[in-house]
Amino acid sequence: MALPRASTVGDDRVIAGICAGIAQSLAVDVTLVRLVFTLLALAGGAGIVLYLALWLHNRSQTVWLFVLALVIAGALLLHAVGLSDRSVAGVTLIALGLALAWRRGGSFRADAPVSYAGLVAAAAGAVLLLSGGSPNAAVLAPGAVAGALLMVGGPWLWRLALDRDSERAARIRTEERAEVAARVHDSVLQTLALIQRHAEEPRRVAAIARRQERELRGWLYADRPIGDETASLIVALSAAAADVEEMYGVRVELASAGDCPVDEAIGAVVLAAREAMTNAAKFAGADVIDVYVEVADESVAVFVRDRGSGFDRGSVPAGRLGLTESIEGRLERAGGQATVTSGPGAGTEVELRLPRRVS
Amino acid sequence: MKPRVVLVDDHELFLSGVRAELGERVEIVGEAGNVADAVPVIREQDPDVVLLDVHLPDGSGDAIIHAVAAERPGVRFLALSVSDAPEDVIAVIRAGARGYVTKTISADELATAVERVASGDAVFSPKLAGFVLDAFRSGERVGGDAELEELTPREREVLQLIARGYMYKEVAARLNVSVKTIESHVSSVLRKLQLSTRHELTRWATEHRLV
Repeated sequence: MALPRASTVGDDRVIAGICAGIAQSLAVDVTLVRLVFTLLALAGGAGIVLYLALWLHNRSQTVWLFVLALVIAGALLLHAVGLSDRSVAGVTLIALGLALAWRRGGSFRADAPVSYAGLVAAAAGAVLLLSGGSPNAAVLAPGAVAGALLMVGGPWLWRLALDRDSERAARIRTEERAEVAARVHDSVLQTLALIQRHAEEPRRVAAIARRQERELRGWLYADRPIGDETASLIVALSAAAADVEEMYGVRVELASAGDCPVDEAIGAVVLAAREAMTNAAKFAGADVIDVYVEVADESVAVFVRDRGSGFDRGSVPAGRLGLTESIEGRLERAGGQATVTSGPGAGTEVELRLPRRVS
Repeated sequence: MKPRVVLVDDHELFLSGVRAELGERVEIVGEAGNVADAVPVIREQDPDVVLLDVHLPDGSGDAIIHAVAAERPGVRFLALSVSDAPEDVIAVIRAGARGYVTKTISADELATAVERVASGDAVFSPKLAGFVLDAFRSGERVGGDAELEELTPREREVLQLIARGYMYKEVAARLNVSVKTIESHVSSVLRKLQLSTRHELTRWATEHRLV
């Protein structure tokens, strides 16, 4: 476009330096240009509008040029419909003010500044409308004012709500992080310290690491609280397995199908299974103990198996209470049954079976 | 002949351990630490077995299987993981892996598992056997091919023994059949697991999705 563009006119400016710019590019006296604009401004405000348009053009604010054109067109339309000049001016001011307010404050960002110029313009327009006294002002004014208030205040309230939400989210995040940190501290960090201290004992280190792994995995994947051994049969058995691993330096592989809550009878099964694992680790000399839990509708079964030395039932000293008392007796009292299959050199398998009460 | 193996795992420590332990019995022809790197390595090497971590930084193991299985039908996958999340394991198996073992497995067992998978058999660790039994547990059947949707009593029995820690050889001896028979039962279970549209399986996976 051939319109003059003078972005830098230094000190020689009164408002935005538009007149100075034009004067500079046309090589005429700036006073002359200002005089023309003033005359135009007095002629129904055309000079003001032109000045605004040129200023926007100068700053490459194409959108705002468009808004300006829209406002002028709207004003002309209202005028044609029969509104008084005063009302048209009021509505125009409100529209411009709102446009400014929305541009600055309506971006929904918490840090976006409010356009006081916009608010002032909108308020001035409202005052003009209300004090207009023209017959159609009574119809237009209340709606326009309410709309203006809503459009100016709306983004503010919206932003306020957003701020509160993001604040709450941040607080929740902080709390979560603290909880994770506490857990990691109580479990993983302690374990790492333990491992460093026992670096010379590979079996112990392996057992500690495995116990930690179990706990962490339980927490990560199954949402099981660490250390709550009464939560379910699997949790309780995992804990028992971890204890045996740690105490005797063996590896316990736990497989399962189904799970159930721990009641008194199930608790007895867990204790018996723990005893069976302990026996396998202590007497059978097994490296690996396989434990399988199967929870069906009618019964719970736990199998504890090792490939250790095995034993002959007849040769077990009478004074050893582990098998008869802690395993078989315990299961019978709980209403179940324990079966031990073993032979010298063939390993041992203890089967614990408990019928489930229909609840 | 030693099976040619590609290792896919993002834990360098674990990779070097496996490399050292398996070096005797398998030939490691490639390594990758994520899905994007693994796919071209597998395409180029066309190995017998891919040892696959279930969780990788840029996706899960089944993404690799989906990407290369169709064009490299000779490649077999064995999933390896520390993860206990059953639905992840079942997802990898359903994508086409021939088995699943946990990372706590001994080097000897791992080598045997790789050889077994290389020769076309399935490898069910006790844990996987438990998952599968759980997934196929009693429950209403919703349409579908009945034979595909249920485990036979014998298959159930075999899986139970595997879950209890019996090796194929021991299961065979206990049931008075050959190891080959046990292998075919396990392969049949694997097929059912992979082909079943069982409503139960999806529901089960959903129930177990706790993460």
